Amino acid sequence: MSAILDGRVGDAAIEEPNYDGEFDAVVVGAGLAGSAAALTMADRGLEVLLIERGSSPGAKNVFGGVLYTPTIRELVDLEDAPLERYVAEKRFSMLSHDDETALSISPGEWRREPHNDSYTVLRGEFDEWFAEQAVDAGATLVTETTVTGLLREGREVVGVETDRPDGGVEAPYVVLAEGANSLVGEGANLKATESRENVAVAAKEVLEFPNGENVIEDRFRLFGDAGVSYHYFGEGAVGEAFGGGFIYTNGDTVSVGVAYRLEDAAANDQSPEETLNLFKSHPRVAPLLRDARTVEYSAKTIPEGGAESVPDLAHDGAVIVGDAAGLVLNNGVHLEGTNMAVESGYHAGRVIADANARGRTDADALEAYGRALEESFVVKNLERYAWLQETVEEDRELLFETMPTAFADAGAEYFRMDREPKAEHASRAKRAVVDALGGWRGLAKLALRYRKVVT
Amino acid sequence: MTWTIVVGVKQVPDDDEIGIDPDTGRLDRASAPAVMNPPDRDALEAALSIADEVDARVVAMTMGPPMATPVLEEAVAMGCDDAVLITDRAFAGSDTWPTSLTLARAAEALDADVVVCGEETTDSSTGQVPPGIAAHNGWAQLTYVEELEPDPEGGRLIATRDVEGGHERVAAELPVVVAVAYGEFEARPAGLHRKIYAENDFEPAQLTAEELGIADEVGLAVSPTAVGGMETVEPVERRGEVVDDVDGLVEPIRGVET
Repeated sequence: MSAILDGRVGDAAIEEPNYDGEFDAVVVGAGLAGSAAALTMADRGLEVLLIERGSSPGAKNVFGGVLYTPTIRELVDLEDAPLERYVAEKRFSMLSHDDETALSISPGEWRREPHNDSYTVLRGEFDEWFAEQAVDAGATLVTETTVTGLLREGREVVGVETDRPDGGVEAPYVVLAEGANSLVGEGANLKATESRENVAVAAKEVLEFPNGENVIEDRFRLFGDAGVSYHYFGEGAVGEAFGGGFIYTNGDTVSVGVAYRLEDAAANDQSPEETLNLFKSHPRVAPLLRDARTVEYSAKTIPEGGAESVPDLAHDGAVIVGDAAGLVLNNGVHLEGTNMAVESGYHAGRVIADANARGRTDADALEAYGRALEESFVVKNLERYAWLQETVEEDRELLFETMPTAFADAGAEYFRMDREPKAEHASRAKRAVVDALGGWRGLAKLALRYRKVVT
Repeated sequence: MTWTIVVGVKQVPDDDEIGIDPDTGRLDRASAPAVMNPPDRDALEAALSIADEVDARVVAMTMGPPMATPVLEEAVAMGCDDAVLITDRAFAGSDTWPTSLTLARAAEALDADVVVCGEETTDSSTGQVPPGIAAHNGWAQLTYVEELEPDPEGGRLIATRDVEGGHERVAAELPVVVAVAYGEFEARPAGLHRKIYAENDFEPAQLTAEELGIADEVGLAVSPTAVGGMETVEPVERRGEVVDDVDGLVEPIRGVET
């Protein structure tokens, strides 16, 4: 044998690598929740193994939208983060098949630092960067590795099994941050399989504008790093389904997509691709996307069961965070998940570090994570809107089909140019809304039912 | 006797990710991430499969900048016992002659009994380096190998080679250089613990041109390859004709000049 490699320290044959018990915690999935947990634990001196099934963190992530950063800002220096644009305008728009009635909000405050902690991001880039921050803090990242199950001793979770040979690795704590399609957590009976009424399917395209400079700035009326978040409801957005459409501006691209209940996709035989194409070709949407070229297409599921669907968060040796824990808020006005993912990852990481210091791995010790979440905005917000999903489902035809048309008709009447007096137009406009929504009585009931969305 | 099996691997631009710039129509190589040359994965599998049968130590080597270290980590993750980074500014601009000389000297320095290489690299596709290693060292060579049978008692390696129109079974005395046919050896997945080790705790050994005693024999200046010029081939205009029946086909074909 050659002297060059004789007895070298780095010799893999001598080392017989075995990392069982080398890590304090294994995090399953390097998305926002997983990386936030890994970073928080690494910052507190724990040895963390972060396992990601994609070729890089974010490679499997399909979310395209707004990242809310109040907690991330505490964890990392956002200066270097790959943020696309800050959100300077939110626009809520009701679409019938050919009408639009919209409300736009653009407070001056949003144009100033810290921009209401709302930025558009491309998750392929952001997640990779965020996981890098966890690695810089000392976490070990392993990619292209799928966790297939949990290792247990009795009830206690003592590690994970992966799809690789020699693929089990033991560690006292496991953080399940595997996303909405949580096969590991479900397989291990740590959470129930979500029913399809509570799951949304989302399809998204990233579009670029190959012709011309400043197309995004000009079309969406923006300066510098300002961006928009447009939300669309009604049958013009997602047909007969319960959901909505969206447009977000990135640096040089826009993310356009639809999200609606899996139940509707199945029952109405409404494919995400067709639905997205219909939305993109709506007369009020198409001009925004004219001459755009698709650079990426993707689809995902979103848990929308709200507070009731949140599983037990703490188990012996394991916790569940982010989408896997159903921590997504979608009430029509607020569409949030990223902030909850980070918040849950942060609290989980913090609680595990505390429990580790006390040598505890039992569910009782990790319950503190669930309690922290309950006291945080995450669960409070979910509970606040728990009633909404069902109510909207009951009123669905009214809200998504009748109302968009009624408001558009009212607008058309109110501003009609003919030779009749304005009083006549105003009364017809009023009637268009009042009649469609069940008379004054119906209108009052409706207002009462939904007042809690905004008050 | 323990065989030392040295595997040559190379970092290349990922050809799955090399896009075509839609505006200019040109290949966009710069944005493609660097990956292991895909045929080298076959070479690693072939080497590891020999080690499954005989007492052997498998060592990966690559010639390139320190940036190329991830291909060595990947080799160790798959099962190599050690890895060597052959790196030196003096290597810059080397064509296949000094490259195969360098790898030949490294194989010698590592006391290789068997050198295994991929059929060719996807970024230059000459297929000259494995035979070059054998030629520089005066060792036997087995190219386009589809199957390997080690014969430790006889000190030989027996190979089934793809030859035009069939196969050939040949035995070579050690030391021998093997170039395996692309697609014949499906690479084994890396074990979890090995992968974690290779990517985080493993450091390859390093060799320089000086240590190999070839500082004056490598680099652009001594590379005999000269590019005479580049020409873009214009598409040939094709003539199309639809005929109504088979009989009508004969005349037009007969009319085509050869």
